Amino acid sequence: MKKSKAATLSIIAAMYAVAIHAEPRFMQGDAAGFVVSDIKYALGPDASETGACPAGMSKNVVEIYIEEHGIVRGEGETEGDFNRRVRRDSRIYSQSPEGKNYCSFPELAQPDPHFKTVQRSDIKVRGINIDGRASLNDFLDAQGNRGIDNQFFRVVGCSRSFQSEGLSNHFVTTMKTGAWGITIQLSGLDDIKNDNEVKVVIAANADPIQLSAARDALPYATYARSQDPRFRAETTARLVDGVLTSDPVDMRFHKVVNSMILERPLQQARVVATLTEEGLLNGYLAGYTPVEALYDFVYGYRSGKTSEGELSPLRERSANGTAFVLGHTCNGGYYALKEHADGLPDPETGLFTAISTQYEFSAIPAFIVDVETKSLNSELTPGRLL
Amino acid sequence: MKTLSRRRFLRGTMKGAAIGVGLPFLDSMLNDSGKAFAATGQRIPVRFGTWIWGCGMIPELWVPKQTGYNYTMPEHLKPVEGYRDKLALLSGFDVKLDGVPNKPHVTGCFGLRTGIPIPDRQVKAPTFDVLIADAIADTRFRSVELSTTGMQRSYSYRDAGSPNPSEVNPLALYHRLFGEGFQDPNQASFTPDPRYMAQQSVLSAVQEERKALMAKVGAADRQRLDEYFTSLRELEQKLALQLQPPAPVKNFVMPEPPEANPVDAEMANVIENHKIMASLLARALQCNQTKVFNVLFSDTTSNLRRPGVSSTHHTLTHEEPIDRELGYQREVAWFAEQSMFAWRDFLDALDSIPEGDGTLLDNCLVLAHSDCSLAHAHAVEGIPVMIAGNAGGRIKTGFHLAGNADPVTRVGLTVQQAMGLNVETWGGLSMATNRTINQLLV
Amino acid sequence: MDLRKSRFGGLNFGRQTAQSTVGYLTRASAIAVIVILNLAGCSAEFGTSDRNGVSALGEPPPVGGPPLVRRLTESQYRATIADIFGPDVPIVARFGRELRADNMIAIGTSKAGISPFSLEQYDNAAAGIVDFIFAPENRARFMTCEPDADSDFDEQCARTTIEHYGSKLFRRPLREEQIARYLEQARRSTELVADYYVGLGLALRGLLSAPEFLFRIEEVDEQNPDSLSAFSKAERLSFFLTNSAPDDALLAAAESGALNTAEGLEQQVERLMSSSKFEQALRAFFADMLEFDLFEDLTKDAQLYPAFSPVVALDAQEQTLKTIVHHLVDQQGDYRDLFTLRETFLTRALGIVYQLPVPTRNGWEQTVFPEDSEYAGIQSHLSFLALHSHPGRSSPSLRGKAIREVFLCQEVPDPPANVVFNALVDTGGNTMPTARDRLHAHNSEPACAGCHKIMDPPGYALENYDGVGTWRDTENGAVIDASGNLDGRPFSSPLEFGEALRDHPETGKCVVERMYRFAVGRDIVWYEREYMDYLIEAFKAREYKVPSLMRDIAMSENFFTIDSDAVRYEGASL
Repeated sequence: MKKSKAATLSIIAAMYAVAIHAEPRFMQGDAAGFVVSDIKYALGPDASETGACPAGMSKNVVEIYIEEHGIVRGEGETEGDFNRRVRRDSRIYSQSPEGKNYCSFPELAQPDPHFKTVQRSDIKVRGINIDGRASLNDFLDAQGNRGIDNQFFRVVGCSRSFQSEGLSNHFVTTMKTGAWGITIQLSGLDDIKNDNEVKVVIAANADPIQLSAARDALPYATYARSQDPRFRAETTARLVDGVLTSDPVDMRFHKVVNSMILERPLQQARVVATLTEEGLLNGYLAGYTPVEALYDFVYGYRSGKTSEGELSPLRERSANGTAFVLGHTCNGGYYALKEHADGLPDPETGLFTAISTQYEFSAIPAFIVDVETKSLNSELTPGRLL
Repeated sequence: MKTLSRRRFLRGTMKGAAIGVGLPFLDSMLNDSGKAFAATGQRIPVRFGTWIWGCGMIPELWVPKQTGYNYTMPEHLKPVEGYRDKLALLSGFDVKLDGVPNKPHVTGCFGLRTGIPIPDRQVKAPTFDVLIADAIADTRFRSVELSTTGMQRSYSYRDAGSPNPSEVNPLALYHRLFGEGFQDPNQASFTPDPRYMAQQSVLSAVQEERKALMAKVGAADRQRLDEYFTSLRELEQKLALQLQPPAPVKNFVMPEPPEANPVDAEMANVIENHKIMASLLARALQCNQTKVFNVLFSDTTSNLRRPGVSSTHHTLTHEEPIDRELGYQREVAWFAEQSMFAWRDFLDALDSIPEGDGTLLDNCLVLAHSDCSLAHAHAVEGIPVMIAGNAGGRIKTGFHLAGNADPVTRVGLTVQQAMGLNVETWGGLSMATNRTINQLLV
Repeated sequence: MDLRKSRFGGLNFGRQTAQSTVGYLTRASAIAVIVILNLAGCSAEFGTSDRNGVSALGEPPPVGGPPLVRRLTESQYRATIADIFGPDVPIVARFGRELRADNMIAIGTSKAGISPFSLEQYDNAAAGIVDFIFAPENRARFMTCEPDADSDFDEQCARTTIEHYGSKLFRRPLREEQIARYLEQARRSTELVADYYVGLGLALRGLLSAPEFLFRIEEVDEQNPDSLSAFSKAERLSFFLTNSAPDDALLAAAESGALNTAEGLEQQVERLMSSSKFEQALRAFFADMLEFDLFEDLTKDAQLYPAFSPVVALDAQEQTLKTIVHHLVDQQGDYRDLFTLRETFLTRALGIVYQLPVPTRNGWEQTVFPEDSEYAGIQSHLSFLALHSHPGRSSPSLRGKAIREVFLCQEVPDPPANVVFNALVDTGGNTMPTARDRLHAHNSEPACAGCHKIMDPPGYALENYDGVGTWRDTENGAVIDASGNLDGRPFSSPLEFGEALRDHPETGKCVVERMYRFAVGRDIVWYEREYMDYLIEAFKAREYKVPSLMRDIAMSENFFTIDSDAVRYEGASL
């Protein structure tokens, strides 16, 4: 993230040096548009740094099977044969006795004791205090004060793939291929430092992000907002000393994995970000992700759709493959999410149905237009995503 | 009298590579003819082939830091340093998705080979090797496909329902090429294509107007027309070459049937089988059994394996954490490097066959490519591409060219043009292009 | 820093010559002084109309120039093939770089030859064209007759085809001996390959590679050697007004002699100018004038200008051409307004560099530069600004030179051979933050000042646009000063500079001169000066409408007049 951000910054600096003028270059009247150029989950430090996973890291079904049954390679058994054997035999851990796969039906499984979560709370974790309270389960902010609501980190903090060298926090790569994107537009902006009434529209980007030859996002491109109202959110915000804070609103974005399209909802989401004179917006998107939806887009892919809008035939295989490769079990993730949910209580049962989730993002100036657009390739993908 | 001025190049001098706007590297303009025939003046056929390796490369170890001719050979390409002059490295050419879902290891490979990005294997156009074979194949086999990891698939498709399957077994390949039905090239009889004779005659007829025209125009214009008629004569001479029989195949030695080797995806076996099959293929090309070939060294979801390691190359690309010191995945890098050793072996096989004034490789155009650049991200941007050989003098090599996010269909277009196809634009939808890579063509 | 050399050696004095030689020297080079005085002289002299008793709207006696041999340009080749065989015929060839002579491709066509490589490419293109039209599924479109059997040679049918297409390609009826020659080739080829269509196709390929097709060989009229022949007139007229070969109606008018009458000529001129092909001629002219072929050499530093790409370069050219055509043709606008107009067309790729919104995702958005943006006029388009800059920075000298040469037809001499650049290289330094500061040496060093005092000021006006054309208020932290003076007219911003350029007396004259050279393919002959005056007056009188200028040229006697004794001035101009 750093490298690309620095490059984008230098692009902007190189393209023009802004003198202190009455109106900064990125403003269009009282409006300013942005496109997210980088985004990832806001997490805490690696387990190796904090020692927050004393019971070890989460395991996949093969590792669990080998450990629980003390499986070893037989005499004269080749590596390939051994691998095939354990993969085959460990399937008992990934499906019900009736053969229903636990990634697709995690509710049929038991909680997984091998799925490890962060047990301590005295860790400095990135993000904001969403609910304004300092609860026992909250993490510490950079100054050491309790209050950071980031239970998603608690759930994934002991998974190998969510450590800094792991692959789970690089989903921005698909954004850079243009498969999805996020636009932000501020209006009613009278002053870029202080304004107590700003309107904010956050919407999915219907156009692919424009990159330079070095694959850095280019500022001042034009993007159309998604015309799907489910992917648009409007709210109000305040700007205080250059820090924008928005009022809670439900948002929804896309996630794309293995050509499957999933939805990434964020309820009661807030933006807390700094706005610079060059028009860079950096900060957090924080809110509560419904557990079932989060399970889908991180672990189980149950609702994964093709570009035609049909349920994808790749869901189950991909979910199992992902779990194996990234080192977790689907049901492990499912129950951990349920256990650490901390938001949106069900009105009848009182049980929490959503889990605090935070994203760190950077956004650069862009022109956001509200028109229908489509790709030159749209005849190839009739139920278009973009 | 040449009145053409020389261009000057304005190159960026600060830090990064400059963006060329369709610029050749050499400070040269309209070259006098690309000699389509070997320096011996004899007609040697030009062959085309592709060589695929799966799961991309490690950019820090594969993409040269400099562009042009004097680049430092990067770590993973050191095995082919000996072929520097016969290689063109093309980095930074993209499959342009523009809204099409990226099916990992599929969209990139088919996008590159058909010119249209597709979200599955339902190709919307033939792969370019099929187009080239249709244009140039006049041999026993229209094309030969082989695969060295035991997987029968190839990425040579005529249409969605007609893929060309690969030969996976060296012994089977041997029998197919040199068993029953083998034709000794030196026994074949040659009849010149009467079209060339007719065309020659027509060009002489055009010459007949020379006297009348020269009388009509002023002195300065006479010189220009003289240049035109000189060019016309050169064209006639080129045609005359086509009327000659193809060069006799010298030094052809019938190969022995290969030893039976285990055929699987274990690296050592794959390397060995690849060497055997490459050698058989080279002999087959030498004696004109085919002019087009497609080699699948490792599948796009590379099933290459190391003994003692349970994961395949492909699963490692997703599974293996990035090494903190190196900044990339160590095991994955090993497979990427091995793929380049194998590429060197392939070039060795072609280059070891003397032909005309040089070797078989000189008369080939081999396009090596992968299905992605960064495998763990399935990135179809910057898919690594290499072109080897000189296509009988029709292409230039020896440089590294940065594509700067240009569509990779420029490569497919250019190789088709180099092989003599009359194609001005290629690719479809977001990848349609008519921009030839002029640096490649003589 | 590397000043681009002017395209040809020797001195050019603008439109005046040694008449204005000055008899004294200063420390500045005499040449520079002459140039300065010439410019001043020019402005004064042409400020008025009605000189030497020539009425503003009456053509002086025709002068003409020598008959020429002009090679077809790529766009002319393509247009001709499309007109004759249809727009879907593929043309697969690598056309070489067009030759520029006297600053114009149109004049280069009179000097360019055809190299072996070029001819091979033409032959390739011919093969593709012939394959297409003789393909079984297409041939009915192109042949009106067919042989009894495919392997039989049908002389009558072949003759018809050869005559029909040959005359269109050669732009005049074929002589009997030409017909016989190609017919004989078709016969022999048919016999050799036992296929009529292949045989006839090869003959057609010969026609497509023949010098009579690839070159426009102008002939004088047999009865009247001071004039082009009717068919040469048709050719010159057609390529001028449509950038393509004469169509059937025009060839018929030539054949019948109608083109030799004023009424007949007028009819054809009106017809051609109201056709959809007229726009192509304008595009060819402006692409030539604005030197768009130089885009092939253009590179920009990827780190400094990441938004610049080959797509942007192509879009930039198209933007300017669309803007020009829309203004001059659709709006019948004043040519001079091209330097101040805000109406334009944009794509998203261009929008990133201009930093303006473009709602249309694929293709062109017809739009207007906003009032509060600093873009107006074609000199503020990326196609001008990016083209006349260095890979890593803007260049007042390159842009100033281009303003002078492209829009004002004022020649700027080459730099002296012993120029020392080390004072100018420090671009990041604090002591010389802006280009104006760095170029101070230009203006104080005597050997340099003469030309740079002329060249740089227009370039300074444009320094707010960086090396690719994006607006900037400062350079290296210092505010950019865009004020200056264009030959006496002051300006303090690029917008005011655009107005100064619009009102400059040379602006209108320059395009007149250039259009005439484009039309005839050679530089102006000495004795054509009065004709130039006539055209300039007419241009003014018609409110600087470019189509009217083209009509005036096409309808003038001088346009078709030949002076066979005229010596061709190699490299010199008036």
